[in-house]
Amino acid sequence: MEDNLETRINRLETVISLGTPDRVPSVPLIAQFALRYRGVPQSDGYRNPQTTNNALVETFDALGGWDGQLAANLIWVNSSWRISAAPMPMRVPGKQAGDHEPLQAVEMEIFSKEDYETIINRGWNGFLAEFLPRATGRPLEKIDATQKKLLKIYMDDVKTWHEKGVPVLSGATTCDPTMILSLSRTLSQFTLDLYRQPDMMQAVMDAMVDDLIQNVLDDTAATGLKYVFFPLERGSGFFYPLRIFERFGFPYIKKMADAFAGAGLISILHFDTDWTLNLPYLKDLPRGKCICELDSRTDIFKAKEILKGHMCIMGDVPATLLSLGTEEEVVNYCNKLHEVVGKDGGFILSTGCECPIDAKFENVKAMLATARSHTYPGHDK
Amino acid sequence: MSELAVAIAELREDEVNRIVRQRIEAGVDPLALVEECREGMRLVGERHRTGDYFLGELIMSGEIFKNAMGFIEPLLKADRPVRPLARMVLGTAKGDIHNIGKDIAAMLLRAAGFEVFDAGIDVPPEVFVQKVRETGSTILGISGLLTTSFESMKQTVQALETAGLRGTVKVIVGGGIVNQMVQKYVGADACTDDAPEGIEICKRFVPG
Repeated sequence: MEDNLETRINRLETVISLGTPDRVPSVPLIAQFALRYRGVPQSDGYRNPQTTNNALVETFDALGGWDGQLAANLIWVNSSWRISAAPMPMRVPGKQAGDHEPLQAVEMEIFSKEDYETIINRGWNGFLAEFLPRATGRPLEKIDATQKKLLKIYMDDVKTWHEKGVPVLSGATTCDPTMILSLSRTLSQFTLDLYRQPDMMQAVMDAMVDDLIQNVLDDTAATGLKYVFFPLERGSGFFYPLRIFERFGFPYIKKMADAFAGAGLISILHFDTDWTLNLPYLKDLPRGKCICELDSRTDIFKAKEILKGHMCIMGDVPATLLSLGTEEEVVNYCNKLHEVVGKDGGFILSTGCECPIDAKFENVKAMLATARSHTYPGHDK
Repeated sequence: MSELAVAIAELREDEVNRIVRQRIEAGVDPLALVEECREGMRLVGERHRTGDYFLGELIMSGEIFKNAMGFIEPLLKADRPVRPLARMVLGTAKGDIHNIGKDIAAMLLRAAGFEVFDAGIDVPPEVFVQKVRETGSTILGISGLLTTSFESMKQTVQALETAGLRGTVKVIVGGGIVNQMVQKYVGADACTDDAPEGIEICKRFVPG
């Protein structure tokens, strides 16, 4: 039977609720690769969302398809100026970067230490209301209008994907306080703040978290999409000992994921860097209401051991393998994922973070084909 | 182990500053203070290797070391400079602006006794070669977090060869997604995805 919107949604919802579907679903992060594959400069993709959408749809067809779009296009969804991620500067293709270079975040201090006081006194949204006009030179009304325009484009692209029979997942984007503050202060400065003034940092995070939750509830209400894209990187066991994670990381991740689950939302915990040490804590997050998405640096096989029967795992074909490896190496790696991590369901095949723009087409195609061919018992082709 | 080295290893910032000031006022040889600070950083590295310290502690210790050296360095006499273990150039490959790994590696390398020339981010191959030649460096470290940086790393190694420098310069590539597959593709001498491990590799590059 040909896949359609309903079969793909069912397949994804089955693995997220830890069941066994007909076969392994795939959800690659692939927009930048799609532009390169279609010969479109990255700069055109960022200037014209329709160009990106066309490239994505053409790439979808050329690769034989997948089961879900993490996002409809290159936009991070916000329904208003009340953003739930770090307002960090980016090096945009065609502006600060070359036409064919990927988008990259710039590691620079955009908050000062004095801004912490404002966050403590006014909360995250109160701080943003003061900070965004100061940082961008634009009044809130104009920022709000831009976000609403981007939201309209996003929802148009959601419609395109749904008409094609492919569900779009992200209805909101958020980060935990550690991620936001580390990106906004730089890793080094944030770390010094954390080690020198831990009580103040906890007060800042306490003042942020309720607004971050409310913003996601507002965004998902506006989009009608029930998945929350939740990038996490800077608080992992790669960066900090567990005593730091237990005080400044996990309590906020849990409070947010619990609130989202309570509202019927699914958190896509996008874990960049190595979170192997932190994996046992994830068993305290709501069962069947989160996805543990890994970028190949966390031990995904250990994740299966720990999270089996509790949380769906998504990942983690390494970027280096997709760029430099052979088709056979990619297939071998994916088959191991299917056999071990995909055993008894609860697994979504994906690229380890974003598919690199210089990945070999045949490697990406082979990766996705392994998911289509990996059926579960009772569903043999 | 000295009180100063222990204070650095324990990340006791105020105590380090106090000890350094007191020892300077007492007329202690600044070269001896440098060696004690390095001893503290060696202990930090050891604790990282055993899993007791993390990147956060490396960053904090690097800041403490840098501040301590800020007191000590003006006192080092020009005719008795601290001899570096080796000179090396470090930078992020062209097309890539990630600087965290590079900056942490530079801090740890300096603390370990290397003279580091930071070429910055988004560095073209010819600039790496020029920096190596200008500084007389014997090690080149190229960092990258994007797969698109691999081609630039490869071109840099080729440019070193063309310039006739490859025989005397060891090349190490580093970054979160860098592995032996990348090392082979680039033609480097070593690879790492871990800054402290990179420092140990660079020490092994130093003859004698």
